Amino acid sequence: MSTIFKNTGFYAGKILAIGVLLCIFRAPACAEREQLTVWAMGAEGKLIRQAAEIFEKRNPGVKIVTQAIPWTGAHEKLVTAVVGDMAPDISQMGTTWMPEFRAMNAIEPLNGFLHSSKLDTGDFFPGARESNLYREEWYGLPWYVDTRVMFYRTDLAARAGYKKFPADWEGFYKFSKALLRAKDGGYAFALPTNDWQIFLMFYWQNGGELLNGSPLTAGRFEETIAYLKRFFDENLAPLEGGNDTDLLTAFESGYFPAFISGPWMISQLETSKPQLNGRWATAPLPAGKKRASFMGGCNFVMFKSSPRKALAWKFMEFMADPEMQAKWYDISGDLPASRKAWSAPALSENPRLASFRKELDTAKAPPQAPEWENIAGTINDAVEEAVFGRVTAQAAREKLSARIEKILAKSERQQSAAFKIALSLLLFLVPVSAVVLYLRKGPRALRRSKYQPIAFLFLLPAVLILAVFLFIPIVASFIASMTNWNMYGVNDWSKIVFVGLENYAGLFGDPVFLAGLRNTLVFAFIGVPISVALSLAMALALNARILRAKAFFRVAYFIPVITTMVAVAIIWRWLYNPEFGLFNLALGYLGLPAQSWLSNRWLALPSLILMAVWKGFGYNTIIFVAALQSIPDSLYESIALDGANTRQEFWYITLPMLRNTAFFVIVMTTIGYLQFFAEPYIMTGGGPLNSTMSVVLYMYQQGFKFYNLGYASAMAYILFGLIFAFTTLQFRVQKKLEGTF
Amino acid sequence: MATTKSDRRSTAYKTAFYVFMVVSVIITLFPFVWMLSTSFKSPGEIFTKQPTILPQLWTLNGYKNLFAAVNMWLHLCNSVIYAVSITALSVLFNAMAAYAFAKLRFPGREKLFALLLVTMMVPGQVTMLPVFLILKSLGLLNSYAGLVLPGSAAVFAIFMIRQFMMEIPEEILEAARIDGFSEFAIFWRIMLPLCRPIIATLTVFSFIGAWNDFLWPLIIMLREDKYTLPVALASINGQYNTDWGLLMAGAVVVVLPAVLIFLMAQKHYIKGIAAGAVKG
Repeated sequence: MSTIFKNTGFYAGKILAIGVLLCIFRAPACAEREQLTVWAMGAEGKLIRQAAEIFEKRNPGVKIVTQAIPWTGAHEKLVTAVVGDMAPDISQMGTTWMPEFRAMNAIEPLNGFLHSSKLDTGDFFPGARESNLYREEWYGLPWYVDTRVMFYRTDLAARAGYKKFPADWEGFYKFSKALLRAKDGGYAFALPTNDWQIFLMFYWQNGGELLNGSPLTAGRFEETIAYLKRFFDENLAPLEGGNDTDLLTAFESGYFPAFISGPWMISQLETSKPQLNGRWATAPLPAGKKRASFMGGCNFVMFKSSPRKALAWKFMEFMADPEMQAKWYDISGDLPASRKAWSAPALSENPRLASFRKELDTAKAPPQAPEWENIAGTINDAVEEAVFGRVTAQAAREKLSARIEKILAKSERQQSAAFKIALSLLLFLVPVSAVVLYLRKGPRALRRSKYQPIAFLFLLPAVLILAVFLFIPIVASFIASMTNWNMYGVNDWSKIVFVGLENYAGLFGDPVFLAGLRNTLVFAFIGVPISVALSLAMALALNARILRAKAFFRVAYFIPVITTMVAVAIIWRWLYNPEFGLFNLALGYLGLPAQSWLSNRWLALPSLILMAVWKGFGYNTIIFVAALQSIPDSLYESIALDGANTRQEFWYITLPMLRNTAFFVIVMTTIGYLQFFAEPYIMTGGGPLNSTMSVVLYMYQQGFKFYNLGYASAMAYILFGLIFAFTTLQFRVQKKLEGTF
Repeated sequence: MATTKSDRRSTAYKTAFYVFMVVSVIITLFPFVWMLSTSFKSPGEIFTKQPTILPQLWTLNGYKNLFAAVNMWLHLCNSVIYAVSITALSVLFNAMAAYAFAKLRFPGREKLFALLLVTMMVPGQVTMLPVFLILKSLGLLNSYAGLVLPGSAAVFAIFMIRQFMMEIPEEILEAARIDGFSEFAIFWRIMLPLCRPIIATLTVFSFIGAWNDFLWPLIIMLREDKYTLPVALASINGQYNTDWGLLMAGAVVVVLPAVLIFLMAQKHYIKGIAAGAVKG
């Protein structure tokens, strides 16, 4: 006992030290020296240092602090920075995010600066201009651009009799037919069923327009669908099989001899598939009624909160200058947004870039609607339904138009601030007082002398933290679920309006939510029993007397829990690969046809369940292992004396002694599986046809991609109701079973 | 050597058991081993038709690029501070609360516990922004306190330890009370040692949770020099371009400390502490 006491003393000291550290190490909010903070994402965030050094040399006395923001989480980081008053002076911003941050009233209009500047905005590509201009006002300056071209295998094209890539739609269709005939197996073209960017390129090429008067152009939409559907119907592209292929390997094997992608793919192919060099090329996209590719890339924006706007503008102007734009290509390989910069030999004489240069003049950016991300999601759904043949192209267009109009419809409702505050307070007080009443009510079974007031001391730290960081936020999000809280209200609370139960009513008419609800239930009903049973079996195996090297096996079972999701995803994609995956290999041995595990709408969900069980069972196994240690050996000894066998030991000792733990595991696993998120998020994005969409994934999309926070909160409370019902049921059952052991 | 029939049967049983164990270990370990070996592969070898276990050409480029791209020690340090403080606080706070719920009598005990369970059923994603706003109003954004406090109590952990503590016989506590132990002494010197396996488990869960946490450290801490390891590693990747060798090297660097913690913790799965205490 004494060594344990020493240990705990040691821990107590450590905890105290950490507490002191917590108090001292409050990071300073801002540094004292005048400096310009610039955020950029990922690789650009590191490389921009080189540009900053050139600027610092030309402007002595100025210090540029650059910061790299990870692409994953960049959107959340920028939004919270705006809300938390932590925004930098300047940031890189994806072209599709511009309208949203403009709607949040977070970015500075630039016309004032442009009037007194020598910068020639006419020099930027039209598509790059579009994403910065809104109602004649500039909100950012283009930094770099990218666009999409066709990547194709020249050797396979030659075998099909093509020396040049076809220039138009009809030519490309014939080319695809010839390509498929010229090789064994696979497809002609990697055409995803749920990629709005690719669909829009074809739609624009066909003369279609978006949010210009009406949401979509009648006729043009249907023709585009008809053209694309032919590729799926005639097996030129896989209707099932988009999710589970690794593009690079499929390109190498010829499974996909052609695909559409951006400039980054050049270096990726050169480094990952050096053996393919000389056997592939890029080509401008086949033209429809006209040329149109997708304009991507990034801009620089200045935040309204910046106290150094003149200096900030100077840096933005510097980065947009044609000379610096060409220089930035040398530093990073990013394509310049300035046309003049393209006269630099490194760009104009690079044969790989010629197709990109050709597309850039006519490449288009998506419309400047703050709700764009949301609209893009509905386009994916509509196109997918149409090419799968579930609805006609016309019906798909009509439905999509209605959904877009609904998303764009702005509530004109006004509510006075006093009304809103009063209602919030009321809505806050209702759950709080309900909780207080609930805790106070009921028979006081214990006599006063039996109370142990010291219990409250034990509870204090945890309960205090949970009250502030869990209970209050829960009540707040409950209030939010009755408002229209969206991106307009993120940074300006006066825009938030109470809508009563509208969000909840809307959800029950939302097909994506209903699909998510159904999938979540299926996932939990199948996944929880398998996962818990497997965990228990593995824990018993780990505890078996005959097992040596227990430590090794314990670690091995726990490894999936701690293996990075990225690595796990790559391996499982391999297992599920339709071309050469292990599962299809096994089916082949059995003489069964190969399956598209992640792209078939009946198989996708079970495939994800299998993966989730694999990834998660070790977690519960460890809890069971810990609980098994607490069963006294004396119990086993006494039952052994009575002549019991192993099976009787299990039923009469082990299982009853594990009941508290097993109950905990079942409750927690059910809650966890009902909040299913990571696997579909990483593997399928909810597709195909929303067959793997889960409630929490949809909530995440609505909340953090589209910033419909009120709507997302309402979803959380419907899920909460479901979980609450299940858990109550489990507690009831446990109470009933209590006596039977 | 004469082997009896039952001996042979038990040998066959043993063999089958070990075959089963080894096969299941291969299934669970494969992605991890692949991750490890991929971190030593050259880019051309990473995406192939069949996943390969051993690189044909071993290279340290992934690690070299990784250490050149980020200040590894700084971010490792940040991660250790973050994960250790959150683990220490959460083990202490949650175990204390669990003790009160499992073994102490106070009015409204079951109800308060039920209420805590209910809060666990609200998906965490919707409370993230409100928590952020509360930290803002408390002036705790961009501070270690803001980073650590919200995660230092967890209903799940209280629930887990409580279930375990409920198995511990009341007689032990009664005996200690008669010996004049205070409740704090009972908690420190009897309950915690008896709960060693579950405390070890919670330590692993808290540590790994904090260690792998990405979004929260990213949005709470303002400056790049406060980034934790996963945040720093994620910030190397391009939007579309991924250097897989470097990514896997980073994944290995992140995972190894978690494995180490688990190795240390699993030593505490010792049979019979509780059993011994009952007898004593």
